Amino acid sequence: MMAEPIITFTDFSFRYKSQTEDTLRHIDLTIYKGEKVLILGPSGSGKSTLGNCINGLIPFSYEGEIKGSCIVAGLETRKASLFKLSSHVGTVQQDSDAQFIGLSVGEDIAFSLENNAVPRPEMLELVDRAAEIVDMSDHLAHVPYDLSGGQKQKVALGGVLHNDVQILLFDEPLAALDPTMGMTAVDLIDRIHREQDKTVIIIEHRLEDVLYRHVDRIILIDEGRIALDTTPDELLRSDVLKEMGIREPLYISALKNAGVDLSGVSSLEDVEHMDIEPLRDRIVSHFYENEPDLEKHVASGEVLVEVKDVSFDYGSSYHLNDMNFTIRKGEKISIIGKNGAGKSTMAKLLCGIIRPKKGEITFRGQNCIEMSIKEIGNHIGYVMQNPNQMIAKNIIRDEVELAMKLNGRSKEETDKNVEEALRMCDLYSMRNWPVSVLSYGQKKRVTIASILCLKPDILIVDEPTAGQDYRHYTEIMGFLEELNRDYGITILFITHDMHLAIEYTDRSIVFSEGNILADDYVFRVLSDSDIIKRANLKQTSLVTLADKTGLDPEKFIQAFIQEERRSRANG
Amino acid sequence: MDNRLFINLKPGPTFLDRLTGKTKVRLFFVLILLLIATWDIRLIAPLFVLSIIGLVSIRPNPKKMTVTLVIILIMNLFNLLLMFLVEPDYGRGVVGGSNVIFRFTDFYIVTKETMWYFLVRLMKFMATFIFSLTFIQCITPSEMAAGLYSVKVPYKVCTIVSLAFRYIPDITRDFNNIRISMQARGLELDAKRVGIGTRLKQYVLILAPLVISSFDRVGMIANAMDLRGFGKLKKRTYYAEHEDVKGDRILAPIILLLLALFLVIVVCLIFFPPAFQVWCPWIK
Repeated sequence: MMAEPIITFTDFSFRYKSQTEDTLRHIDLTIYKGEKVLILGPSGSGKSTLGNCINGLIPFSYEGEIKGSCIVAGLETRKASLFKLSSHVGTVQQDSDAQFIGLSVGEDIAFSLENNAVPRPEMLELVDRAAEIVDMSDHLAHVPYDLSGGQKQKVALGGVLHNDVQILLFDEPLAALDPTMGMTAVDLIDRIHREQDKTVIIIEHRLEDVLYRHVDRIILIDEGRIALDTTPDELLRSDVLKEMGIREPLYISALKNAGVDLSGVSSLEDVEHMDIEPLRDRIVSHFYENEPDLEKHVASGEVLVEVKDVSFDYGSSYHLNDMNFTIRKGEKISIIGKNGAGKSTMAKLLCGIIRPKKGEITFRGQNCIEMSIKEIGNHIGYVMQNPNQMIAKNIIRDEVELAMKLNGRSKEETDKNVEEALRMCDLYSMRNWPVSVLSYGQKKRVTIASILCLKPDILIVDEPTAGQDYRHYTEIMGFLEELNRDYGITILFITHDMHLAIEYTDRSIVFSEGNILADDYVFRVLSDSDIIKRANLKQTSLVTLADKTGLDPEKFIQAFIQEERRSRANG
Repeated sequence: MDNRLFINLKPGPTFLDRLTGKTKVRLFFVLILLLIATWDIRLIAPLFVLSIIGLVSIRPNPKKMTVTLVIILIMNLFNLLLMFLVEPDYGRGVVGGSNVIFRFTDFYIVTKETMWYFLVRLMKFMATFIFSLTFIQCITPSEMAAGLYSVKVPYKVCTIVSLAFRYIPDITRDFNNIRISMQARGLELDAKRVGIGTRLKQYVLILAPLVISSFDRVGMIANAMDLRGFGKLKKRTYYAEHEDVKGDRILAPIILLLLALFLVIVVCLIFFPPAFQVWCPWIK
């Protein structure tokens, strides 16, 4: 049926000009017309490189050496041109903000038409049609600054739908989106695949989110080779994911923990429609064997921060209303909520960068209003999402000691604290290295070290895992967990990643539209479908699984968390 | 957002707003050329009046506009004052006479001709400025790109113009984020606590990460443009460049007339140079 190949790699290898080793090795891969394929792999596996070979950025924007052949829509890519390929392959990149080139939605969708010198009357028609497909018809005159990340992504997709584009390539489309937007995006991709008769290729490492809608085939890339080329069900059954450092869907982990035999289970990729009957007994008995101790762990450390009736607004938008919560020493808290719910505003309030319009924030009983930003900074450290936006110095050591110098500490104290921070972050041996040679995750550690040298009591970490694969994610989170356990540093995560909240924090504060919806144990918050819905978050698949099995979701999540943490602690 | 103060992203409803980018750019260029070429108040005065009518017609925010205009007026007057202090009898050279009205000292005299020159100069500069302000206020960056393209500027250059406007707010946002993280680490930017010298040095600490993260962005933008065929053809069309409206059709011949007038002036200046730069009714 799917006889006609549209992309064919034959013994294809590629090496970037600046590198000594091949990034892609001996790739043999055929993708057929009309297929929907997920290319999965950890960072640095070469999956994005593979995508760039399809859309022509390789070899036309990134130079390098190609061996073997890659035929896309009948064209041998290296003999074609970027422009020729772009009329067959539409690419949606990961940064939905940077790729928004136009100054309005209509203009951005029209960009490729403008470049093809399509006469304006015809252009208007095509833009209208594309906008309708991606559901942005009512926003044609909107400027990019007024759009959410998800809307920008829709526009990006609309912009590549024109002409006879047959292949749609999505390069990490979910990276910058919060969970609900991610779901909408996956849904949209699915609809366009079905209705527009296109071949769809998605490059992602967030497997569970992509599997929210059916994909035909998953190609797993590791170290530049195709490690596996199979159906979603087969992949989920195998143990390959964990070995590769890719996160399994949570419900699959739960099933595997329960020791369920997955070989006979159909529609494993879809927790909603999976046939649970044959598995129920096994899951239930496993649950009772591991039933969580109901004795609740209550945070009892010293009260560090109290937020009392705090309200804030920037004139018209982004308001916070009467917020109240307490942070105690040694806690691990996640502040969750969709983009724009007020999470970052609260972080800025805690750091004293902005001050409450009403109410007060106290630190160890002292009203923060009496303290300068600098003084607060000595107690509450703030690690931004993007390390590139924090690092100001060339050499690791200089960067780490910057805060000490800015605070005018003595030389002895600086040297002592910097050395300690470098050792805590496992950077001591690299202290004289230039920052530019570090990986993203290492840079993140540098930024954490640069805050730690001030010995803060609380670390606020903004989206610690954004744009990172599971391997780096585990590495950074494990490191933060150590800081918490071994040094008693209180950690506040600002995140929309439900997995992170489940795996690494005890307590969640849920923000929505500037209000606190819930402030409770993670498992309780995440099992409360009302809160999840009101906060516009994504229901975790564990809840679905518990519902289907007839177990109490709250206890089920709690048991899962305990089991996972136990196995993590045992290595 | 404050940084959108003078950039207009959506076309407004007035006559000038509704013109095509082509007409806006051409009209602006020809008016500015005229103002540069002439020192004759018989041309400058009507243009000055026209500039004010133009500005008022686009119904700008009155408060912001008054503040801007007053600042520019003060700067121009200050400039004239400095000229006067250096050479009080400036009018002798450019206007061709020295009728003293008032005498402070032997050197500092006020002459009719100098005052005339100052009046013409002030009008000329204010008109130039008001035209520019009106132009910036009534054109969107995309229309500007389309307009520049229509006067044969290569479209890659036009795109740089509109891209710059597109990403200025993003860069401002990055800048604010970086500043915040630096402040939390102890960077003191409070004017009351540290001197201007230290503060300038500290801003360098913010610029370094800003430049690096902007470079990352440039790479992504370039890829996004390549992938959508930017630079494929020699010509280009513009989504923002709508069909001619009535105003465009009325203005097209007027622009041509003004251009012809400009050429006449230039030719006259070259072949029949006047004795004095500035025309004055009482100097023959």
